[in-house]
Amino acid sequence: MLRRASYVIGITLACLSCGRDELRRDTPAARGTTVVVALGGDPGQLNPAITTGGGVHPVTDQIFNGLVGLDEQLRPVPELAERWDVEDGGRRYRFHLRRGVTWHDGVPFTSADVVFSFEQVLLRYHSRTRAGLGPALQGISAPDDSTVVFEFRHPYAPLLLRLDVTEASIVPKHVYGDGQDLLAHPANQRPVGTGPFVFTSYARGDRVVLSRNPRYFRPGLPGVDHVVFRILASNATAALALESGDVDYSSSVPGPDVARFKANPTLRVVQSTGGSGGSVCQEVLIPNLARPPLNRLDVRRAIYHAVDLGFIAERVYFSQGQAATGPISSRHAWAYTAPGRHYAHDTARAAALLDAAGLRRQADGTRPISLSFVHAANQVRLADVLRDQLRAVGITLRLEPLDFNAAVDRVFVKKDFDLGFASFCNGADPDIGVRRVYSSSNIGPIPFSNGAGYRNPVVDSLFDAGSATLDLEARRQTYARIQEILAEDLPYFWLFDSAGYRAWRATFTGFRPWSGAFLEAVRPVEP
Amino acid sequence: MSERRRASLLRFATRRVLLLGPFASLLVVAAFTLIQLAPGDPILLLAGDGGTPAYYAELRAYYGLDRPLPVQLTRYAGALLRGDLGQSLTYQRPVAGVVLDRLPATLVLGFAALVVGVGAGLGLGLLAVQRPHGRMDGAIRLWTSIAYATPVFWLAQGLLLLFAVKLAWLPLGGMTSVRDTGTALGGVVDVLRHLLLPALALGLSLSAVTGRVARASLLDALQAPFVLAARARGASHTRVLLRHALPNAVIPVVTVVGHHAGSVLSGAALTEVVFAWPGLGKLLLDASLQRDVPLAMGVFLVGMVSVVVANVVVDITYHALDPRLELR
Repeated sequence: MLRRASYVIGITLACLSCGRDELRRDTPAARGTTVVVALGGDPGQLNPAITTGGGVHPVTDQIFNGLVGLDEQLRPVPELAERWDVEDGGRRYRFHLRRGVTWHDGVPFTSADVVFSFEQVLLRYHSRTRAGLGPALQGISAPDDSTVVFEFRHPYAPLLLRLDVTEASIVPKHVYGDGQDLLAHPANQRPVGTGPFVFTSYARGDRVVLSRNPRYFRPGLPGVDHVVFRILASNATAALALESGDVDYSSSVPGPDVARFKANPTLRVVQSTGGSGGSVCQEVLIPNLARPPLNRLDVRRAIYHAVDLGFIAERVYFSQGQAATGPISSRHAWAYTAPGRHYAHDTARAAALLDAAGLRRQADGTRPISLSFVHAANQVRLADVLRDQLRAVGITLRLEPLDFNAAVDRVFVKKDFDLGFASFCNGADPDIGVRRVYSSSNIGPIPFSNGAGYRNPVVDSLFDAGSATLDLEARRQTYARIQEILAEDLPYFWLFDSAGYRAWRATFTGFRPWSGAFLEAVRPVEP
Repeated sequence: MSERRRASLLRFATRRVLLLGPFASLLVVAAFTLIQLAPGDPILLLAGDGGTPAYYAELRAYYGLDRPLPVQLTRYAGALLRGDLGQSLTYQRPVAGVVLDRLPATLVLGFAALVVGVGAGLGLGLLAVQRPHGRMDGAIRLWTSIAYATPVFWLAQGLLLLFAVKLAWLPLGGMTSVRDTGTALGGVVDVLRHLLLPALALGLSLSAVTGRVARASLLDALQAPFVLAARARGASHTRVLLRHALPNAVIPVVTVVGHHAGSVLSGAALTEVVFAWPGLGKLLLDASLQRDVPLAMGVFLVGMVSVVVANVVVDITYHALDPRLELR
């Protein structure tokens, strides 16, 4: 009996040790400062130039660089490019690269890497760069080792905001230019960058470990020795881990936890625009304009009056941002204007509009409008509130919660819905993101495209004009006109301009949540 | 065990394993079709949003996702026969490698949950039959009902809040600490500390089932003539309980445990997500949500094989424990 028991104990310990050995190499040395970051999903692969996927960039944006970075106001600042000249009225951009930069394996970084990254990788595989930059770009050349020239078919204003590490990470030609398939390249599992942190190890489903790049081109940075990304799929677990000190930074704070976190002296809670890449997110209801009754403007206006945006901002999104007023988020400071037509919460006005549209209340109090609401299951709170608010004016909302992927498929690909939902996350310029939602050339079976099916040639040409002018005031006026027209046409119901909470342990400072490279300047707080 | 019995055990095991073939083929077809029928497109998660239809179509062709379902299934089955589980879309690595990386963590968790479930269950059963229908027995029956009815995700969150956040006795998640623990022994202790809460969460409902079954079968065994005979020979109460009643009462417990092997795996999916345990359960969930069909199939196949193997092991153990049973 005793012998059997000792076998069992022996085998258990052996099993535990082998699991332990598997992970042991991923544990950074006890020496030095380690900052632990909660990561919502397993990245899978670590090549940022072939994907815009949200699980990859929070990690890779610390390993790689873009030609430019973004400051807190989302303005371009030098990164791999030290400076740049805009020539020929915005048709040509000449970038002067920083000298003396080396890849993590010691090979010097040159203009050939930039040309390779764009021509062979980004313009082929990075969905946003390929779709946004590709059509406007005529060619890229490298007159010498430290100069890169972008030539455009017409003046192109948003370029500088398309070149940060999230939108256009520069990858090494000497690694990826070996003729192997880029989508299955071995370096996608062991990335080599120029960024502040060097890849150390990746234990799938558990953690990614990075270490300080001692040759980083910004003196004194980074401020910590190791970064450990812990993969914590559950938001609730990530929040608990932050409170208990197991994690030092979380880029999302569940709404109900915000007040408790703010009251906790060991935590710092900051409201900021989206995560990696300074993305500006807006939560939007999508009416299917190809189907009655939402193809009617008066019905859409009635619905927007019936929806209480203030209540949704407070109770559904826990004030992690503010009620939206139009198609451009108020977080896009220079491009945003409050549109002239405002849809205040007014159920009497909504009822009057519906009556006038011939959709009168029936004997049971409802109107002859029943809408399917296709949404991801994590939006059930919004769905409940919407159902109640629309019921108050006699509209029936049939809830259809699905998993995220299935909901995207129903709304954007199959277009089988009356009312859909999306969180559109856009770049630092309205041309990067906002445009795709309203442009008539972007109605197709593509996720996060113009899902409503809105067509307005005036809006299309205004978006063209907005991206082809370098004069900021002229651009602002163009976008103001777009916002005015869209508020009149109401092709979407804009609910909420997000600025979520990020939280970190007070023992660290220097996080830059607006930027992809949010860990570059992190350092421990001096005692 | 006699030579004859050993040979018949071997024949029995071989027959069970051979049956696995047709059974597995059916399950592969069913699982592949079901996963493919779910709406959604893995390409969106791979490439990210904002692309053109041409780009997404190019990627779909690259991964062979543009082919009709029967063609994809035939290709998959062909590769499977050659021992190739395919390439994971998310990890861009062979599925077998990804699954094998995560298998040890799930085995450790599953084994620990079994130890908790069976150990606690047998203990409860033994305590309950000390005085059948007495207070202790009533309390244990109430406890097993509550434990069986408690959802694993709720229990997991509760354990985390109490032991990891409020009391801060145990770590919050993962399998090892981020900070190094030094010696090899320190490493084992570290894993055990991480293992305790997930094993408790996963093992609790199993302990309720085994506890109830152990109680019932112990009560039966204690009424049996051989127990009466042992008592007549002057054997002590403890000896009667542990040497005579328990070995006989254990047989139904083993059956129940075998049949719960599948639910341990499905429960592991929930437990692993809450405790960030880097195992197969979490991998299956991620693969399904990301429509990574080859990976989901890979995990599914491993799960299926383990359930079948667990059942074969249970059958064999069952027959080894009870020589009266014929092997068929």
